[in-house]
Amino acid sequence: MKKTLEVMGMVCPFPLVEAKEAITELSSGDELVIEFDCTQATESIPRWAAEAGHSITNYEQVSDAAWTITVQKK
Amino acid sequence: MTQMIITGLLCGALLGFVMQRGRFCLTGGFRDMYLSKDNRMFYALLVAIAVQSVGVYTLIELGIIEYNAGTLPLFAIIIGSFIFGIGIVFAGGCATGTWYRAGEGLIGSWIALAGYILMSTMMKSGVFAPINAKFQQPQLQTNSMADTLGINVWILIAILVAIVGFIVYKEVTKPKVFIPTLKAKRTGLAHILFEKRWHPFVTALLVGLIAMIAWPLSAATGRVFGLGITTPSANILQYLTTGDSSLLNWGVFLVLGILVGSFIAAKASHEFRFRMPDVKTGLNSFAGGNLMGFGASLAGGCSIGNGLVMTAMMTWQGWIGLAFMILGTWTAVYFVFIRGRQKKKNTVISTKTSPTTA
Repeated sequence: MKKTLEVMGMVCPFPLVEAKEAITELSSGDELVIEFDCTQATESIPRWAAEAGHSITNYEQVSDAAWTITVQKK
Repeated sequence: MTQMIITGLLCGALLGFVMQRGRFCLTGGFRDMYLSKDNRMFYALLVAIAVQSVGVYTLIELGIIEYNAGTLPLFAIIIGSFIFGIGIVFAGGCATGTWYRAGEGLIGSWIALAGYILMSTMMKSGVFAPINAKFQQPQLQTNSMADTLGINVWILIAILVAIVGFIVYKEVTKPKVFIPTLKAKRTGLAHILFEKRWHPFVTALLVGLIAMIAWPLSAATGRVFGLGITTPSANILQYLTTGDSSLLNWGVFLVLGILVGSFIAAKASHEFRFRMPDVKTGLNSFAGGNLMGFGASLAGGCSIGNGLVMTAMMTWQGWIGLAFMILGTWTAVYFVFIRGRQKKKNTVISTKTSPTTA
């Protein structure tokens, strides 16, 4: 299953707070696609995912100040 | 005047650039100590303080600048720093953070900045100036920690450097988790400047060095202080509304430089875009900006003036201010992120996620 979390326009730390919450509703192996535009989250989201043991299957900059990251739940 | 404009803008631009690229966010740093038990940005701040402390006291020893810590309005510092700490959570960034995020195109930061500048001006020369003056009494005689303790300031600096050295050693030798990064699209210097993740300690080292060179640059124009944000921010509005050019000083160009430097960094890294916040974020930003201006004016400094500079000068004002702004941040974090989220969870179960077909 794949879920999309749209947090464009949200400032830190809300994208991360929302992501942490959204992933609890997924089961292992599911993917969470996070679309965000908060610059600081380019650092905080991958760091959180890596430290929590989730894997990142996609991470790219879509356009000026817009990113998408896909986190697969461990 | 020309010298003031050039060195002020240049120093500010360097700072804005480094902070934007290094994601040097003190609000986030203080918040994450509590919210995610992550002390990295706080440690980075300590690194910047230590670097600046050694640097500035060396300049003082060499007779390049003179410094007197003055007296200590303890009560104003405690109350002001605590309010400032609450404000930065609502504003989504500290005073400097707000300046550099304005340069990234965040309209929410422009709103916070407007509230911050307006309130600082009201506190310094406007209707709230008498209240502010009242809070500044009583003053304790010594602000310098070394004077109170009756020891050489270098002993305090040595202790700080030893603590910071130990923390850096522990952090750097910690087993690392692999953190995925964006695919590199550039090479060489462009990659390092506009793409690569900067280690917080490298950013902190640069911030400390910039904070150090700020002292002689500023002193050369007659303003004997290092980095400062609140008073210069208020000076901008005072100058704009009175036309009195004696209000312009090195600090004014420093804060304007932060905006310019951060804009250059964001633009070159494809991270600049005008972003309009929703109504709630906009209102929070304005309220936060006002609290920030009120608190920083009372305390005589923000997270840079007190948290980075006055700490490095080994003053009670700096360290007490830093402690209470962190407490203020944690208090706001508790109400906004911990209790606030629990309440929300009990009413609606996440409306923001929508399943899509894989």
